Amino acid sequence: MPAVTAWPTVLLVARREALVRLRSRTFIGGTVVMVAIVAVAIFGYSLVGGRTTSLDIGFTTAAAALEQDFSATAASMGQPVTVSTVADEAAGRAQVSAGTLDVLVTGAPTAPTAVVEKTAPAVVQTALQRAVLSARFTALGIPPGVLATVTSGLQVPVDALQPARSGMTQDRVVGLGVAILLFITLGLYGSMVAQGVVEEKATRIMEILLATVRPSMLLAGKVVGIGLVALLQLAIVAAATLASVAATNVVTTPALEIGAVAGYLVWFLLGFLIYATGYATMAALVSRPEEVQSAVTPVAVFQIGSYLLAYLTLANPTSPVATIASMLPPFAPILMPVRTTGGDVPVWQVALALALTVAAIVGVTRLAGRIYANSAMRIGSRVRFMDAFRG
Amino acid sequence: MNGDARALEIDAVSKRYGDLVALERLSFDVRAGELFGFVGRNGAGKTTTMRIVLGVLSADAGEVRWGGVPLDFAARRRIGYMPEERGLYPKMRLAEQLAYLGELHGMGGPDARRAAADWLDRFGLADRRDDELQALSHGNQQRMQLAAALVCAPDVLVLDEPFAGLDPVALDVMTGVLRERADAGVAVVFSSHELDLVERICDRVGIVDHGRLVACGTVDELRREGPRRLWVDAPGAPPDWAEQIPGVAVVRADGSRVLLELGDGADDQAVLRAALESGPVREFRRAEPSLVEVFRGVVGDSQAAEAPSVV
Repeated sequence: MPAVTAWPTVLLVARREALVRLRSRTFIGGTVVMVAIVAVAIFGYSLVGGRTTSLDIGFTTAAAALEQDFSATAASMGQPVTVSTVADEAAGRAQVSAGTLDVLVTGAPTAPTAVVEKTAPAVVQTALQRAVLSARFTALGIPPGVLATVTSGLQVPVDALQPARSGMTQDRVVGLGVAILLFITLGLYGSMVAQGVVEEKATRIMEILLATVRPSMLLAGKVVGIGLVALLQLAIVAAATLASVAATNVVTTPALEIGAVAGYLVWFLLGFLIYATGYATMAALVSRPEEVQSAVTPVAVFQIGSYLLAYLTLANPTSPVATIASMLPPFAPILMPVRTTGGDVPVWQVALALALTVAAIVGVTRLAGRIYANSAMRIGSRVRFMDAFRG
Repeated sequence: MNGDARALEIDAVSKRYGDLVALERLSFDVRAGELFGFVGRNGAGKTTTMRIVLGVLSADAGEVRWGGVPLDFAARRRIGYMPEERGLYPKMRLAEQLAYLGELHGMGGPDARRAAADWLDRFGLADRRDDELQALSHGNQQRMQLAAALVCAPDVLVLDEPFAGLDPVALDVMTGVLRERADAGVAVVFSSHELDLVERICDRVGIVDHGRLVACGTVDELRREGPRRLWVDAPGAPPDWAEQIPGVAVVRADGSRVLLELGDGADDQAVLRAALESGPVREFRRAEPSLVEVFRGVVGDSQAAEAPSVV
């Protein structure tokens, strides 16, 4: 047989599917809305709750000797500050109550007082302590370099048996965001695949297609084409997120570093291959658009289950249920990325989740090819799953 | 190209749906350069046959060959197909849709786009190339459906009821295109209930009934297999003169003219002698049966109610 190789045909089908979706208002509008939500959330957070907006620190003339050390320490801690010298203490206090200064440093450099509206940020206190230490060393006639020598390595490494979670709140927000985004995108594009399958049956173009294309190529092309569009949309949203994070400097969690974000996209792709293939298979059993929803429900149940388990995972990431479910397909593609936002997932667990998921994809694809081939030409009443399986 | 040596051969194809026998060792062939009409009552097995040729259905037994080689998946790409159930993507633009189908049949991108443009032009749809299919009228959607079958420059065209629901102008365009394709060396087979159209344009006709081929040949050959009939005008003869001749029945009378059907063994010369004995004979000629009459003859009058009601 002069072989008809599968891939050119799959790519041809995928190209059509992708082009039709890329042109749709759903894609363009959806992308704009998602980017807007992410950007508004991050910029809003930086305006309302962000702590790394630059602080205005005033020094009285007496305390002005602290300025240089203070600025240097604050900068090394990642806290931008603007220092200024005020005319006198009264003028400085007035500025603090007016809000034009965040902190007024007054008194002698070796024993200053920090005047604030309500509380002094921890970073200000630390930087001040360091500047005061330096001032006291100078007062004692000790050369400035000694201080650096004495304090170097003073930060004692902590070896915690139960590692504390730093930045817990931000991780959780990111984890929740990842869960929601994966859930919505999988559902949206999964049902696009399902609708596309039924459209071909309902409009009867299936008969023309199947005269030249094998059912498995048609199925693969559809999943690949729509999957790439979904991946593109998520990549745009991810890029917008990273850009917003970089621009505002409010988020400091490793859960939003490029590597981590790329990981979420990989999990999306794997999840899409499982769910979209499942949706397409179930949709092939029916012939009318209005029957799609009920047909795909058995697959959707797993997806909704994963979403609910994501909340459990966020609440208690180390619980046995969360740990086990995050390694098992079809839950892993949503749960594992959520778990990784909190950090501290053993490598073997991620590897096991990946291996099981890939194995599941292979199994689902085989099953789907069979069901799809056996039901694609059965137009009319709903085909029973077992009938389609037997062929 | 060795032109006429090539043929689409349907060889002893059988298909059952449970207890229902859809096709029973059905055989015929469609030669390159020939327009073959495939007729039969509803449910006779026409659509099943075409689906088996296209590989959309699999036969229980028998074989379909092109140029002597069993049709495989790759060879089927050289077939243009218009299924009974029409269908294209409603939301896809015309030119893109045709080009896509061309590419699925193995054409290169530029070739497919050129062919798509040519066929749109041919069917008067060039100015609507960027419209979605769903924006077209029913008649234009029919033209698109035929263009979809033609775009891949096929060696074989298989068309299931291509003329159903066409207005007379579209009908002329379609029959013109099919004739032209056949003359260009394509093997064209189509099913239709429009027997007078089939009679007019087809080189050969196959009549299928209950999954069996009951007649096959050129229209003239089929006519010869039909009932022998004579028009006789003998104004001076008594009304029942013809019925007394052995093996002769009166089909109908039209004034003094009668249409006679001659059974096996009946002698037309005896009819002529009987007519002359009654007086002058103004007309004596063989009545060529129409395809409809042939069809009724081979398919059987008992089911004539279901047969197409032409004439």
